This record gives sequence, structure tokens and C-alpha cells, in this order.
Amino acid sequence: MKNLLGVWLTLAASAAFLTGCNPSTDTPTSKGSSSSDTPNTSAKRPNPPKDGPAFGETIKIGLVASLNGELKPWGDDSKLGAELAADEINKAGGINGKKIELLVEDSNSKPEQGKTATDRLISKGVVGIVGEVASGITAQIADSAFQAGVPVVAIGATRTDLTDIGSNIFRVCYTDDFQGPVMAKFGFEELGLRRVAVLTDKRQPYSEGLSKSYIETFKKLGGTIISEEFYNSGDQQFNAQLTNIKGQNPDGLFLSGYFTEVGLIARQARDVGLKVKLLGGDGWDSQELVSGGGEGILGGYFCNHYNDNEDRQEVKDFLTKWKAKYNGKLPGTTMGALGYDSVALVADAVKRAASPDAKGLMAAIDSTENFLGVSGTITLKGHAGNPPKRALVVEVTSSGVVFRKAYEHFE
Amino acid sequence: MIDPLSLTAGLDATALPQQLLNGLMFGAIYALVALGYTMVYGVLKLINFAHGEVFMIGAYTALFVSWQMGYFQGASGLTRATNPGILILMLITAMVVCGFLGVLIERFAYRPMRKQPRIASLITAIGVSMLLQYGGALVLPVSPPRSILEQVNPYDGNLSIPLKPRDGELNAAFAKAKEAEAAAKATLEQRIKQEGVSSEFDLSDEGKQIRSASQSAAQATRDAENKYLASGMSLNIPYGQGIMFLATLALMGLLTYLVMFTKTGRQMRAVAHDFDSASLMGINVDKIVTITFIIGSSLAGAGAMMCATFLGTQLTSFVGVPWGVKAFVAAVLGGIGNIPGAVLGGLLIGVAETMVVWAGGSQYKDAIAFVILILVLLVKPGGLLGSAKVEKV
Repeated sequence: MKNLLGVWLTLAASAAFLTGCNPSTDTPTSKGSSSSDTPNTSAKRPNPPKDGPAFGETIKIGLVASLNGELKPWGDDSKLGAELAADEINKAGGINGKKIELLVEDSNSKPEQGKTATDRLISKGVVGIVGEVASGITAQIADSAFQAGVPVVAIGATRTDLTDIGSNIFRVCYTDDFQGPVMAKFGFEELGLRRVAVLTDKRQPYSEGLSKSYIETFKKLGGTIISEEFYNSGDQQFNAQLTNIKGQNPDGLFLSGYFTEVGLIARQARDVGLKVKLLGGDGWDSQELVSGGGEGILGGYFCNHYNDNEDRQEVKDFLTKWKAKYNGKLPGTTMGALGYDSVALVADAVKRAASPDAKGLMAAIDSTENFLGVSGTITLKGHAGNPPKRALVVEVTSSGVVFRKAYEHFE
Repeated sequence: MIDPLSLTAGLDATALPQQLLNGLMFGAIYALVALGYTMVYGVLKLINFAHGEVFMIGAYTALFVSWQMGYFQGASGLTRATNPGILILMLITAMVVCGFLGVLIERFAYRPMRKQPRIASLITAIGVSMLLQYGGALVLPVSPPRSILEQVNPYDGNLSIPLKPRDGELNAAFAKAKEAEAAAKATLEQRIKQEGVSSEFDLSDEGKQIRSASQSAAQATRDAENKYLASGMSLNIPYGQGIMFLATLALMGLLTYLVMFTKTGRQMRAVAHDFDSASLMGINVDKIVTITFIIGSSLAGAGAMMCATFLGTQLTSFVGVPWGVKAFVAAVLGGIGNIPGAVLGGLLIGVAETMVVWAGGSQYKDAIAFVILILVLLVKPGGLLGSAKVEKV
């Protein structure tokens, strides 16, 4: 005689946890978060324990991108951008007579698979890796590449302490230590916001870092953060948090998460009658934002890397090339331009490398100065992997994303 | 007189009624999905882990119907629907497809295993669940996440139920502030036109001062409005979610009628009471099991359609997982196999989740369901309304 139901429930509960462990929303917290308080230029970055491979017949560059999963819009664009750059260089005869071979692996929007993809690329003998867009995935890529001594150029990973992992980690985008303050300044000075609520995605290292830098600057400017509420990537109901926030009468709401949830939050905020200005970071940048957010997201402002309508020759050339290669379509997100810049920057460094191997390439990337990228001028020399770049504030309107104000780099 | 709602220090008591209502509305959806778990467990003593995936298919069905009716991203001249015809079509299609899927799952995955030990069926259930999740990822448009456009729903806006009237004097102050804001804004717009710039962010220093004045006026209006709104208390129900709640109640009522007052319902209860004896009494057990799966799965389909439409849930082939887990917890909490228990459990979980957020612990929202589950299993292993009866082996 036995209480069968009890056995059943134990079994069932463990099974529920098994199926409940949905890998698409599981994100390990990023490494090295302890050093996020130190300014990025003074951080001492460890050198990789061994030297990477030498250049082969071709220059093998690996790309890790989210070609599937919820971050697919970014993965697709970074792949198209990277391929555009590689094709252009190869058509012009390659670098010192050697062609670039771009090897692409899918991270499936998941950190663990990003690590597997990196290991696969390293075993194929790549001398440099380009990617990823999400900070949580890039942390895993950086880890693997650090052990192998291969340089990494992150496309859109903005979490500030990422580059502290090792001296082989670089990026072509600004950091959250810049875009958080930019949005705080814009909200305080241009929109006149004084009481702001913050909604943070507990599962994304990116979101936590961005909220932190935003809150710090906004308080420093003299504003009040009336509350910080949390959610997890993959959540679908935000009414409870939004009702709480509404009760506190804010005049702005800062959403530091990714577009997948931000759209939903915007839609539900409108439903609960929370009519405030919405602000966010580059995690908003996707056309899916409007399909998820509907009318609620219109009039929201976010920080971005560049804009198609910018009046710079690099942007115009890039768009002409992009349209010629991809049937007249424009890039869906800014990750197209950043993916292009990453590969072009690596190729530029290959040209300048003192020795034909990963170590020489790493040193060459580190000494990049005034590289004219589509997303702005990139200088890595003396900046520990974090280029000081400009940031744009854009507004979401019914006819697309419209450029509003540019901020040059400030401390 | 002490206002009883403002007694709790530090907590925003004015939001409490609203939060309770939110909790009830979400709880109703959990309950709807939990009914499927509990009914199947009742007749087969099997936990149908594929139930969350039935929910997922229901949501996708609703999405496809809405696409078919012309409501997709980028469609030209998209305007808000004028009648609920599409909503009803989406609901019925989702329910039918899910009911059919439930029958298929039962017929091809569970029935062949019925004579085997129960652990075999349980593993099969997990297998079916994963098959649908990862198989779905291959064929369904999972990435980037899709959601049903809000234009499908003809009922925009909110129903506001006043609990305490607002202060008239504050309303007058609000109206005055609004006038001042409009005046300041007009000055700013004139200035923008004068300077010939494209947006208010490119103004000269003097223009920026005018803008600051306009911002201060807007600030004052917001303060006045907030004061006015906070002087009263009201319940706010988005029409869509109100419809969702009513439809859920209606479906539960229908289910109660079906189970308690029809011949099929009586047969169902007999099968749940004793599977073998029921078949000896001439009840077609296979037919009853099929009907149970149809009802349970179509309820999940209805829940999925309403979530996807009124909450804007983003769809991936894993969207059923959190709902399935929470609803399962709700079913166990109420006493699995017990139909009123599933409803009670669902409502409790929904209210508990919003209460946790209300009390300032939004990061623990997902944990609370499991904390409750553990506590209930420790104190009352059979669930709130269930009975932990000793089975004779």
C-alpha cells in the first residue's frame, strides 16, 4: 500500500521542471560583473593564455550570429552586413593577395549554443571572430576565444564589462556606460522628465547593466527614480508591474530590455492607462517592436548606433552597396551596418598585422585609429576595446524610426 | 474616519483593488488551461504534459486565422475591426483545431500505452510535448516572435468603474493647468516654425528656454492630473481583458453543465470514479476519453486565442511552456482530478502572482507558484479540494 498520488506528483513536478527549462529563455548571468564599477579605460585586461593560429591560404574569419530564435532579426542583419564587407574586400583582390573566408555559425539566440558555435569555429582554424549582438551570448564567445587566443570583435554587445574578460575582446559599438547616460540626459534635458520608473529584464545582463547606468546618471542630473520593477525574458503579462508603476505617477518609463518584451510592455501599458514617455536602449532596434507594441510604442525614444538618413558619405555608400546586393532592400536593423563595420575593421587590421597570425591581428586591432566605419569613426587604441563613439536618439513613429538628436562621446 | 484602504504603510493601497482584479483575470486563464490537466487526470490518471503545446497550437491557429483575414504586419490600409466576427472565428477555429489535436495525441500517443505501466505514459507525454515544441520550431514561423495585431480587436479602450468619486476642485485646477500647457505649447510650436527647424530638438538657446517653459507647463498639468486622479479610486478594465474574463466564465459554466447535467457528463464522472467498472457497466470508455480530450484541449485553445489576442502574447513554439507549468501547478494546488479545484487553484495562482508584484517583489513573480505548490503539498498532499486517498494496489 502506498500513496501513489504522492509518487506521481513528485515525478510530475520534476518533469514539469524538465520541460519548464526552456532553453530559449535561459541565460546565464554574464561573467566579470564585479568590475562594472571601474571606468573602462583603466581596467587591466588579462592576456590570453596561449597564441592563436597563423593565417592560412585564406584569411579565415568566423561569424557567430543568431540565425534562429527570438534575436533572428539581428542575426540575419549582422550576417548580411558581414557578407557584404567580405565580398567587397574579396572583389577588390583580397588583402595582400589573400582572400577572406567568412565562416558562419548559428548561436540560435542562446548563450550555450554561442559557445559551441565559437568552439566549432576555432577548431576550423579561424584567426578572428566577429559577433554577437546580445551581451549574454558574447560573454560566452569571449570566454572560448580567450582560451584559444583568438581576437573577438563584438558587433552590438554593449554591456560595459564585457571587454574586461581579456585583451582579445573588442567591439565596434558604444557601451551601456554611454547609452544609459545619453538616454538619461535626453529624457531630463530634452523631454523634461523628472520622475521616471525603470523596468528591468532580470535575465539579461545587458538589461541590468543598462538600467544601472541610466539610473545613476538620471539621479546625478537631479531626477527621481520612483521605482524599479523587474521581469524575466519570456514573460507575457506585465499588468501587475505596470499597475504598480501607474500608481506612482511617473512621467517617463525606461525599458532596458529587448524588443521582444518591450513591445508587449508598451501595448499593455497603454491598456492599463499608463500614458507616459517610453525610453530605451538599442535593444529596441527591430521592426518587430511595432508589431508587438502596436500603438502603444509610437512616440517612444531609444538610443541607436546610426541611422539610414544620416548625412554622411559612409552611410550613403553603405546603403548603395547594400541595396545593390540585396535586391534594393534597406537593412532592417542597425546590426547590418555594425556587422559590416566589424568585418571591415578586422580586414583593415589584417592588412596592418605585424605577424601573420592571430596574435599579430589582435595587436593590429588594438591599435586601430580613426577607422571610418558606417556607424561612425572607430578608435580602439588606448581604449581597452571600447571605442568612444557617438550615439543617436531616435523616435518610433508610425512611418518608421526617425532620427532626433545625436550625442558625441562624453565621459 | 480612517480610510481602511490606506492602513498598510509603505504599500500603495489604492492599487490593491486593481491588482486583485488583474490577478483574477489572469487566474481565470490559468484555470481554463488547468481544467484540461485535471479532466484528463480524472479519467486516465495521466498527466498530459503536451497540454501546454496544445495551448501553443491554439495561439498559432488564432494567428493564422487573423493573417488569413488580412491582419498581418505591413498590410496596407489596416484599420481597427468594426465587429467581433473575426474574433469569434478565431476563437472557434482555435478550439476546433485544438480539440482535434487533443484527439490525435490521445489516439496515437496515449491509447497504445494505456495497458503499460503509468510511468510509460508519462514519458510518452513528455515526448509528445517536446516533439511539438521542437517540431513546431521547424515548421511554424517562430522567429522573430509574432503576435496578433491589436487591430483585430474592435474594442479599444478601458472600462472605468469608480469606487470613490474624485475631487471636483482638483479637476478645476487640472483644467486650468491644461489650458496653460496648451498656451505654452502653442508658443513653442510658433517658435519652431519661426526658426524653421524640423524638430523641437534643434532649437537655438532662446528657443530652448521657450521649450523649457512648455515642459514646465506640461509638468504642472501632469501633477494636477495625478492629484486629481489620485483623489478618487477606480477600477480600470481594458475591454479586451474584460471580454476575456467573461468568455472564460461562460466556458466554465458550459463545462459545469456538460459534466454535471448531461448523460455524457455522468459517464465521464463514472469513468473518472472507476475506469474498469465503468466499462463493465456498458460505458464506451474510449469514446468518453476522446470526449474528455476534446473538451480539455479546446478549453486550452480558447485560452490561447484570448491571451494571444488581448494580451499580445508573442508566439514561439515554446510559448505554451510557462502557461502549461503554471496551469499544472494550479491543477495540483486545487487537487488534481477535481474540476472546481482547478478553477480555484488557477484563480489563487493568478492572484498570488499579482500580489507578490504589488508588494514590491516583482523578481519573485514566477517563484511564487512553486512556493505555494510546495507548501500545499507539505500540508495537504491531495491539494485544496482533493482528497489524498490511499490507493489499493
